[in-house]
Amino acid sequence: MSDVRGRWPVASLGPIGRARALGASIPSAAWAEGILDAPYDRAWPWVADLEVSVPRFDTQVRRLRVLERRDAAGAQRLRIAASTFGVAIPFEVRLEDGYCIMQARARLYLVLMAAEPHDGGRRTRFLHLEAVPLPGTGLLRRHLQRVVDADFANLARLAAAGF
Amino acid sequence: MEQLVRAARRGDAAAMDALVRALMPYVGRVCGAIALDHGDDAMQETFIAVLCNIRSLREPAALHGWVRRIAVREAVRAARRGREDPVDPEGLRTVPVAPVDLATVVDVRATLARLGPRQRAILVLRDVDGLSEAEAAELLGVPEGTVKSRLHRARSAFVRRWEP
Repeated sequence: MSDVRGRWPVASLGPIGRARALGASIPSAAWAEGILDAPYDRAWPWVADLEVSVPRFDTQVRRLRVLERRDAAGAQRLRIAASTFGVAIPFEVRLEDGYCIMQARARLYLVLMAAEPHDGGRRTRFLHLEAVPLPGTGLLRRHLQRVVDADFANLARLAAAGF
Repeated sequence: MEQLVRAARRGDAAAMDALVRALMPYVGRVCGAIALDHGDDAMQETFIAVLCNIRSLREPAALHGWVRRIAVREAVRAARRGREDPVDPEGLRTVPVAPVDLATVVDVRATLARLGPRQRAILVLRDVDGLSEAEAAELLGVPEGTVKSRLHRARSAFVRRWEP
């Protein structure tokens, strides 16, 4: 058996599956998932430029500034400030190819974006999730669903227009 | 790892995400070998179960065994949901064998596909994870004798497959 052990099939969990798993475990998490009419190679680099992309599609963010950026194994760790309703909220960010998780300090808010090539890379499967990962916040899910649906619609429109 | 578990139990989403990243290689091996084509679904279901129930894990040091139990359960479940009719192990002897190429993953996959999900689970637990027959029996909820006989048949399938 030992000669075949290393050849056994291995399952994988892509960025979208990883985001779904996390979302399913947080009671207030709401997410929108769908296909963007833009190639993955174009869509993800645009999304990953958070200072440009987030204020354009996220209805709650007026401005986003990257305060610090450092490399971590296979990812970048960022410290950002997202201005919403006139208040700059600090977030810790982990940014990978196809995956971005942003958690506000004191876990007041969570934003997650995940993307995978679709249709041979000609289009992009995208998931956008927001949550308040604190106990007793499950009732916020309905409100957050409206927020992420609106964000996703904005993003889909931008993608169709070539960003 | 124990620190991650403690933070995940407090609801720290970044810690939960880091926990998933740390466990992905192991869960991928278990789910891939047992659920085969449904391995990716099994893996997602495993992590949903792990993260939803992480607060019930009282002792962080028990994480690996706890995750193993969930991964095996979800992989067997996914394989059964999507599968192929039950396999009669005795029928394996009559399965026509294509020319053998020892170096191909496809061969291993094809041989595993001729076993039932629970036989694949036993193979994974014994030959990949190194559990004893008693431990595998306890995890799968079957008598030790059943593990022994299923393991024997599963290994025989591999041996026959690789015999010239």
